[in-house]
Amino acid sequence: MSKVVEISPTTRHEGHSKLVLKVNDEGIIERGDWLSITPVRGVEKLAIGKTMEQVPKIASRVCGICPIAHTLAGVEAMEASIGCEVPEDAKLLRYILQCANRMHSHALHNILSLPDMHIPGTDTKINPFSREEPVRSAALRIQRLREIAQTIGEIVGGEAIHPSNPRVGGMYTNITPRAKAKIYDLAKEGRVLAQDHMEFMISVFKDFQRRGTTVVGGVDVPIPDDFGYHNQGYMATAPVYGSSSLDENPTWYPDRFTEVRPWDWYMGEMEVSEADPNYPIGGTTPVGTKTWPQMEACTGVPLYDGQPVEVGPRARLVQFRNYDGRGAMGLQIARQMEFPETMYGIIDAVDALNTSGSVLADEIPQGDGSLGWAANEAPRGTDVHLTRVKDGRVQYFSMLVPTTWNFPTCSRALTGAPWRIAEVIVRAYDPCVSCATHMLVVDEEKRLVAQKLIQ
Amino acid sequence: MDVLGNYKSVISARSTDRDILKKAQDGGIITTLFAYALEEGIIDGAVVAGPSDEPWRPKPMVVSTKAELLAAAGTRYTISPNISLIKEATRSYGLDRVGIVGTPCQIQAIRKAQLYPIGMRDVDDKIALALGIFCMENLSYQALEAIVEDHCNQKMESVKKMDIGKGKFTVYTERGAVSQMPLKLIHKYVQPGCNVCLDYVANLADISSGSVGSPDGWSTVFVRSMKGNAVWDGAIEAGLFETKPMDQVKPGLDMVKKLSTDKITKNQKNVDARKTAGLRADGTPKGLRNPYESP
Amino acid sequence: MAEKITIGELHLSGCTGCLVTLADNYEGLFKLLDDYADLVYALTLVDVRHVPEMDVCLVEGSCCLDDKLSVEELKEARAKSKVLVAYGGCAAYGNITRFCRGGQWNQPGHASYVPISEVVDVDLFLPSCPPCPQAIRNVAVMAYLLLKGDDEQKKLATAYLTPLMQLAQRGNEACGCDLMYDVINQGLCIGCGTCAGTCPVRAITMEYGRPNINRDLCIKCGACYAQCPRSWFNFDVMNNYESIMNVIKGAME
Ligand SMILES: Cc1cc2nc3c(=O)[nH]c(=O)nc-3n(C[C@H](O)[C@H](O)[C@H](O)COP(=O)(O)OP(=O)(O)OC[C@H]3O[C@@H](n4cnc5c(N)ncnc54)[C@H](O)[C@@H]3O)c2cc1C
Ligand code: SF4
Ligand code: SF4
Ligand code: SF4
Ligand code: SF4
Repeated sequence: MSKVVEISPTTRHEGHSKLVLKVNDEGIIERGDWLSITPVRGVEKLAIGKTMEQVPKIASRVCGICPIAHTLAGVEAMEASIGCEVPEDAKLLRYILQCANRMHSHALHNILSLPDMHIPGTDTKINPFSREEPVRSAALRIQRLREIAQTIGEIVGGEAIHPSNPRVGGMYTNITPRAKAKIYDLAKEGRVLAQDHMEFMISVFKDFQRRGTTVVGGVDVPIPDDFGYHNQGYMATAPVYGSSSLDENPTWYPDRFTEVRPWDWYMGEMEVSEADPNYPIGGTTPVGTKTWPQMEACTGVPLYDGQPVEVGPRARLVQFRNYDGRGAMGLQIARQMEFPETMYGIIDAVDALNTSGSVLADEIPQGDGSLGWAANEAPRGTDVHLTRVKDGRVQYFSMLVPTTWNFPTCSRALTGAPWRIAEVIVRAYDPCVSCATHMLVVDEEKRLVAQKLIQ
Repeated sequence: MDVLGNYKSVISARSTDRDILKKAQDGGIITTLFAYALEEGIIDGAVVAGPSDEPWRPKPMVVSTKAELLAAAGTRYTISPNISLIKEATRSYGLDRVGIVGTPCQIQAIRKAQLYPIGMRDVDDKIALALGIFCMENLSYQALEAIVEDHCNQKMESVKKMDIGKGKFTVYTERGAVSQMPLKLIHKYVQPGCNVCLDYVANLADISSGSVGSPDGWSTVFVRSMKGNAVWDGAIEAGLFETKPMDQVKPGLDMVKKLSTDKITKNQKNVDARKTAGLRADGTPKGLRNPYESP
Repeated sequence: MAEKITIGELHLSGCTGCLVTLADNYEGLFKLLDDYADLVYALTLVDVRHVPEMDVCLVEGSCCLDDKLSVEELKEARAKSKVLVAYGGCAAYGNITRFCRGGQWNQPGHASYVPISEVVDVDLFLPSCPPCPQAIRNVAVMAYLLLKGDDEQKKLATAYLTPLMQLAQRGNEACGCDLMYDVINQGLCIGCGTCAGTCPVRAITMEYGRPNINRDLCIKCGACYAQCPRSWFNFDVMNNYESIMNVIKGAME
């Protein structure tokens, strides 16, 4: 007889989510559901009637960890709808922003993942806030990498978290030669640090996969060889940036996308039948508590070619770099492998940037209600925004955000793992939940989307 | 705090740079100090009131060369929202050490932004030199137009210099004409916010300066903060200023103190009067907002 | 050194940008956590799952009245903390959630979002979207001095924190329009440009010496008004700006 364990809320990721797990007598997960329980702020609906300038600013505030992705996807979806080409130098500035955000976000993700890991060669788990070495140096390096990335983001984007410089038609302002030189210096420092940091993090994740067991809440838990494996597909639109319906050859295909509601996909009402008060920290949900994923999930379930897919670093590496690392640690390692490219990307883009070039389109059409979409490769995966703009106002807005894609895929990846380390899988997949509370393209609209784009 | 604020020293001074003196309002203190700070790497750039498309209408500007500083020298007696650029100076302009000039109220805004950086991320430790200019009152652009074009009967375009002193507003034109009007008449044009202003000599600046107290072409200079002190000493050592002790110039510090006291006394009355500016139905007074008490 | 204070962060309907801001003190974050404050709660950073007792609770995000858990956790956080801070525009003023109107799957019923002070008493506001790393650093150091310092330090901390406490009393509606209502209309604007420089969405331009607010851009974060030198300006504190900044700098060294 399988038992039901619930971990709620899960920790060390952004937003609120929980795990509902059916486990066998050995504590191995037979079926797992990972679901968001963050209230749905409803950005897709509140956007309607607002200006095309304001909606991307609001969309940015869906997530403070990858706000740049949401800003850029939002702005570019508007541009796709109104049919506005932005100047080359504005594109370069956006590319720099994209790389800077990926660097900061991946580094932050490391802080959240580290406490499950061990100092290589020891049984000591890593507390990233401890003063002990080698942890403190690694933590300070993470902060320095983030500082470099956030500073570059601030110079180009106006603000370090929610960028204010991108706008429909390009950017408000180009940067000065002095700012350009500053970015060079920062990126060059970052390039070296990123290399060291990548190597350190990869050794830590490899160590976890090799060690065989890990202690959670006083219990020795075996780590299976196929920890966090799944058989779902991958989806990525570009190694770094993204694609949009303005592209000559777009790399995302709306007609391959469908969606089901949680009702059809998540588990039904159940009662928690196993609990561990020693599970860190605060224990799992007490026995007897009712749980009902179908009803509680705050996100829909998006499918690509009829299947949940994984998006993010590994998806990008699989699609564009022949990467084949599997499981939770394979994903973590893929993320680390993206570090160096962020700094090289910035250096190349800054090289190409003309600081006296115009960064705003001469003409910004106000839109006739055509559908446009833009996909941005956010740190955690493909972030697609779709919109219709008419007379400068948003008539329709939808966000297919990374975590929403990963929720069902990650749920599948839980199968076969001991429940006490289920959160380690979640944290490998995605630490970023509140964005995921925003999407759902209802079927009818979806068909419209697909039809329009096929025509 | 006393009406002149905290200061380490007060001197009468004039720039030794003739190019600057030609363009500057008074002793060229502000332009000379920024030029020096740029040269020495104390600042990477400065936010000043630069020229705009309209005559005598200043536009806040980030500058980083002496030529640009010269183009922005001299006083425009109308609002230049310089603080609107302090954050951007550290962003797309790429400055790590920002210099800024402002009226006393603008220097207050800077200190608030440093001490309470509500929406001014990564700015506080990048303010490298805040220079204040004395200020009795300020005018909207339209008010300045009325004063110059109606009262002084000159075209804005042809004016070379405007000055306030000895109870008069004076306009000098390119062709050598001089028109004046009594300062008293200006008061009705003053922007309302100035009527509750309690700072005349930029108490919170690193260094503040104005013409009052010193002879024509000279400036009175208060050196106030540690930072200001270091910059001033450096500039003196580099021979950038002629100086005279304050007690050896006419009209001297007493004049500054008098004007400062007059301004603060008058405006404190205005602040207090706001408390009882209106009337409730029950006959008790109804107040207007007092920014010095609470938000 | 006196013992540390305890700080927690309750995440409600926000975007975690406010928490990232705290982390954006970079090396300074470690200094804060080494010497002044234990981070006892913050789902994103530490494993503690349920609201504990704490000295200072930073609340990020507004409160969804249609989500029972949010309301309960907020009330619990109030009951268990000495000082409750509305951390960021969403918590203080609603920010973008002021625009919420529900109707979105999978929880179309989530429609009512309020600033946290509609549900609990709030001691201190730290507006803007997000607030600044330096602002939360200053408040953390001052909270430490307030709770663990000697009399002199308590006095300084009280003086510093008072305007932010008064801001919490002022009300929980914010908009660029406040500059019109409470500064320009009141005859207080001086055209300094601070508001335009502050706005995190570039909704304010200066037109002939006065702010013009593009209300189709404003997200209601409250930064412009709180940063304006004519919303409040406390001479006791400001005249000592140099020494206070030195105290904070010294504390972070
Ligand atoms: C509105 C106003 C009222 C003043 N009232 C008095 C007074 O009552 N008594 C007194 O002694 N002095 C007053 N001053 C100051 C005086 O006019 C000179 O600006 C000051 O003495 C500096 O002269 P300087 O030769 O050292 O500076 P300069 O080398 O000429 O440099 C002046 C600097 O000030 C900047 N600036 C010019 N106009 C403005 C503006 N409107 N806002 C902000 N920055 C500006 C310029 O960009 C330049 O960088 C006033 C200035 C202003 C703007
Ligand atoms: S009088 Fe005061 S408020 Fe008015 S401009 Fe001068 S310093 Fe500012
Ligand atoms: S105030 Fe801004 S940064 Fe903070 S939670 Fe709200 S949207 Fe995010
Ligand atoms: S105008 Fe800008 S700073 Fe002011 S409340 Fe609106 S968004 Fe915030
Ligand atoms: S910040 Fe300055 S310009 Fe803006 S409203 Fe306040 S006083 Fe006026």
